[in-house]
Amino acid sequence: MPIATAYSTKPLPDAVADLKRQCGNCQPQVVVFFASPRYDPHAISQQMQAAFPDACVVGCSTAGEIAAGKMMSGSVVAMFLDADVVEDAAAAVVGNLRSGPRVREAFAEFERRFQTPASHLDIRKYVGLVLVDGLSGTEERLMEEIGNRTDVFFVGGAAADDLKFQATHVFAGGRAHANAAVLVLLRLKRDFKIVKTQSFKLTGKRLVATQVDEALRKVVQFDHRPAVDAYAAAVGVPQKQVAACFMRHPLGLMVNGEPFVRSPQRVDGQSMVFYCQIKQGMQLEVLEGTDIVADTRAAIQAGKSAMGAISGLIDFHCILRTLELCNENRCDQYGAIFSGIPAIGFSTYGEEYLGHINQTSTILLF
Amino acid sequence: MAGQIKCMIDSIIQQRARGDPLIRIMTKSKLILRGVDPDRFSGSSADDPEVMVIIKAIAAELGTALESTKERN
Repeated sequence: MPIATAYSTKPLPDAVADLKRQCGNCQPQVVVFFASPRYDPHAISQQMQAAFPDACVVGCSTAGEIAAGKMMSGSVVAMFLDADVVEDAAAAVVGNLRSGPRVREAFAEFERRFQTPASHLDIRKYVGLVLVDGLSGTEERLMEEIGNRTDVFFVGGAAADDLKFQATHVFAGGRAHANAAVLVLLRLKRDFKIVKTQSFKLTGKRLVATQVDEALRKVVQFDHRPAVDAYAAAVGVPQKQVAACFMRHPLGLMVNGEPFVRSPQRVDGQSMVFYCQIKQGMQLEVLEGTDIVADTRAAIQAGKSAMGAISGLIDFHCILRTLELCNENRCDQYGAIFSGIPAIGFSTYGEEYLGHINQTSTILLF
Repeated sequence: MAGQIKCMIDSIIQQRARGDPLIRIMTKSKLILRGVDPDRFSGSSADDPEVMVIIKAIAAELGTALESTKERN
């Protein structure tokens, strides 16, 4: 089987042996794994690389995992991509993110490996994965830097730590890194598709960010009014109740007719802090939540129709969606969407696709 | 003067896309995510100097060259 998946809830080192056993006869070129923070990050990265010494082994820590048609926690999940899927692959670590993401060396490595300038890579044959420290606050700049270098789509997620917000890790080559990102460039032998799905409709109300602190992901004013005041009026609740509306009423930056969701995180005085940056002058739609399960099922079905068949998928799934599904006791329904498909995923601290986004399932389909 | 911003945006998209419609859409998306929505500017849009500074910076980051209006004139 060109794409295999596995999961384990065993402790180390048995978990890695368990994954290797489930890998069976697959000879993976690439191993992608997502591990609960209950696993020691350094140990699991070292043991995963040791178990698959000839593969490009990458991964990150999570706030919940997805595999085998289930949403889980406390587990490690893995996808194995063999040579029928991946013609060649290379991974590079971008360290010291908080000093400013510098991807030049990573792309120099890719260009050496693939013997093609990054700006001229065939975007229909190559796809990138990006896994980034979810506490670094640098995801937007990282994605811009990647987007400056290449037009290849990089898709991925921000590593998480079960909502402890203490330490998240990315894994590559047997090592675990904080304050870092792992970039993976894949040259594929088969078609791929990226699905970004979010479960919101437009309310017809708009807010323009007229005063922001980009670095802090803070909006001070919408429409020249204190941000909380303007947001409360837009969603139709008293100011004291705005926090209760955040999950159901995030804001959307419209990009080619699709909202790129900006999720409010908290109130800070009369300002609002978001989970991703909002730039000065951005015009944002006030969104209203719809049905995550139905919308995701439809998005997967549409992807399947477009591709003919799905051989495997990686789901970068926002933790806010996971929390909503848990609150509604619908995690089983969401997991079941992927039944019968070799699929893995994890609950992220943000998804990466052209930029840094929130409250999506951003999915790489093979 | 008016319309320079649209010219600058069109130039960035054209240079980056090199005729590929998918990259054209992608580049437009990158501009929106960086705070410049191409659909908000037309040939009659005022030449807002602050916006032009932002677009010049984006053009430089994306490795595209912008011919200045003075040079063109």
